[in-house]
Amino acid sequence: MLGDSVKAQEVFHTTLREAALRAAHGELPNEPFWFFRDARWRCLEATKTELQAEPLEMEEQEITAAAGSQIERLEPRQLAIWISAAPEPQRTALALFYLDEFDYREIADLGELKLSELSRLLALGRRQFQAWLDATLPKSPTI
Amino acid sequence: MKTPQLSRRQRALTNCAPINEERIRDRSMRAAVFRARSSSEFENQQSFDRALATLVRAIPIPPETAEWFSSKDLISPSKWTWKKTARNPVVLAIGIALAVIAGVFVFHFVGSLNDFPGSGTARKLLSIAGSTRSVVLDPVNADAGTLSDLFFLKHGLEHYDVPAEFADFRTIGCRVFEDDESQRIAQIWVVEKRMQFFLFPAERNVKTGAVLKFQGWRYVHQEGWVGAVTERNRVCFMVALRGREKDLAPYLAKAKQ
Repeated sequence: MLGDSVKAQEVFHTTLREAALRAAHGELPNEPFWFFRDARWRCLEATKTELQAEPLEMEEQEITAAAGSQIERLEPRQLAIWISAAPEPQRTALALFYLDEFDYREIADLGELKLSELSRLLALGRRQFQAWLDATLPKSPTI
Repeated sequence: MKTPQLSRRQRALTNCAPINEERIRDRSMRAAVFRARSSSEFENQQSFDRALATLVRAIPIPPETAEWFSSKDLISPSKWTWKKTARNPVVLAIGIALAVIAGVFVFHFVGSLNDFPGSGTARKLLSIAGSTRSVVLDPVNADAGTLSDLFFLKHGLEHYDVPAEFADFRTIGCRVFEDDESQRIAQIWVVEKRMQFFLFPAERNVKTGAVLKFQGWRYVHQEGWVGAVTERNRVCFMVALRGREKDLAPYLAKAKQ
């Protein structure tokens, strides 16, 4: 969500501390995923004051069979930066989806999205990432 | 591979299809994935998603944060202590129940230590002693020792002898009756401390019919009464009074001498 481990750690600890305080006062919300919702809100707050990327038209490419091998050549940090640079709510959708911990309804709930919106954001994210992959890591030559 | 015909909702669902198919929890998603599975487009999407998820898992987590997700529990379970366990209502209830059961067992065990052949009958007779009124007895003013002949001649009771140590006690009255087991009991009321004497058949072995003998005097207690029982010639003699063992002890000490 943040693309910066120091900031992520700060948000994590703040969220955890707040949760501990609420637990101590017996004020924990009676809804699932409140912790993740809280963490997401803090991430959005943390990035609000930062320099925002100018909205620009990103290239899109259909996903290819070679995408897997291209991704294998990536550094994990590159992916983290790419996702954190995505505009909201696409960033939330991609971050939560690729965490592979939530199903689509939970992601829609956390990101306050409809199914059609979530679907569009994910599909768009894939195509944009494929385009970025093609630009950054040219496909391996096929023999 | 042919592209299957998918509805708009199914297309939306396949875009959100979980990376791991085992995570599919609803029927509509399962149906959409099943239909889309045959298309190369969906196959590419799945391998793309799997590769990205693998990469996400490889994103380094700062050690300070990773500590929170170590194998240790975030909140260590509170230490087990005897005090804490003892305060648990369930443990407390079980403990009390066990204590009561143990108490009953100890009570019965201690009681059984004092048991002797005929103790059951002796206790029943102590209850009778507590409820007997002098009017139910035939008035007899004599030495207790002389009643043996009366019991033998009038009731055919052999060896219903008052021990020599109690033979000189003056009597108020006596009677012979049958208890609930049809045993013939001789009851004597004496002047001395309003004591009562009971003579009853000694207990026998149920199988062999042999008399179960015991030595000396044995105490029994029932409803504020105390009795001392001895067995002679297949007949038990019990001296009973309202009070405690120490009230009877001087008479038994004389008896031993």
